[in-house]
Amino acid sequence: MKVTVKILRYDPEKDQRPHYQTYQVDAEPTDWVLDLLERIKGDQDGSLSFRRSCAHGICGSDAMRINGMNRLACKTLLQDLHSHTIVVEPLLGLPIIKDLVVDMEPFFDHYKSVMPYLVNDEQAPMRERLQSPAERERFDDTTKCILCAACTTSCPSFWANGDYIGPAAIVNAHRFIFDSRDRASSERLRILNGQFGVFRCHTIFNCTQACPREIQITKAIGEVKKAIATGNLD
Amino acid sequence: MAVSKNAWLTGLRYRGGDNMLVWMLHRISGLAMVLFVGAHILSSFFTQQLGSTWGIALNTIYESPYFQIFLYFFVIFHVINGLRIILLDFFPKLLEYQRELTWLEWIIFIPIFGLSVFITVIKILNGG
Ligand code: FES
Repeated sequence: MKVTVKILRYDPEKDQRPHYQTYQVDAEPTDWVLDLLERIKGDQDGSLSFRRSCAHGICGSDAMRINGMNRLACKTLLQDLHSHTIVVEPLLGLPIIKDLVVDMEPFFDHYKSVMPYLVNDEQAPMRERLQSPAERERFDDTTKCILCAACTTSCPSFWANGDYIGPAAIVNAHRFIFDSRDRASSERLRILNGQFGVFRCHTIFNCTQACPREIQITKAIGEVKKAIATGNLD
Repeated sequence: MAVSKNAWLTGLRYRGGDNMLVWMLHRISGLAMVLFVGAHILSSFFTQQLGSTWGIALNTIYESPYFQIFLYFFVIFHVINGLRIILLDFFPKLLEYQRELTWLEWIIFIPIFGLSVFITVIKILNGG
């Protein structure tokens, strides 16, 4: 079948503002959107820029807006879009570098600000820091994040103010806050209680809907909010 | 290139679905209520302090049944949606069922709003 792919293009050296360019591509219903982009770049227009690496939904490089919603191009089947016209646009809320490539720096700055690593200065046991399956289960959902930025850039609070730490950073803080081996929970909660922390979340749910890993993001944020409010990690 | 920082305009470029719609309605109904209460205070002020006919004019608009139907929609929606969010804040576990809760919200909303509209319409038919 023939599909029409409409891509929002922007080349800072040539264009005043982003504009749409349309391509006709031969495709199968079982093609990924990433396949179409590769075909366009390979056969029709080598100047098209986008990020991708693994093509298997694990590196988080190719999050973009596909038919208006944030998704991974390598994890979105044509047949699931139920349309012969596909609109591909860069993520919102981050500066565009070129075409579908956005500047992820602000996103990673927020990520780094929550200390996304294990903090524990206690003497390590001989073999390992033991954890029960139940304790591991407590933060299992938030370990799945691949830092694709689909959630943060779907959040109206983040669009309104880029200083908001954003869902992805909160998810990654949650992953350590509720880890029984970690000792910096209170420090992380203090950071997240700041002016641009969790309370900028208005329970809108765009993030949960956008997450390609199906993480219950709003729930994780809710748990962090509650931990801050009650001072209790249960 | 800096991307537009205006969340409202940006929102129009994102297909957030029913979740985002509910959030936008919450914002709009909040603003609408400020407007309603503002009109009410203003009309009282005009009438009682200045004895001006502006107050009566405002009152006529404000008390008209058509206006009241809008008012009911926004107030009832804002209250029920607000309660849903408060509930979710207290019990984050419920966030897994947010879809169902949003449906529940409309199920509660429809009869309350319907009844209010029904009473208002009866009133209109009876000549105010
Ligand atoms: S290319 Fe790696 S997640 Fe899509």
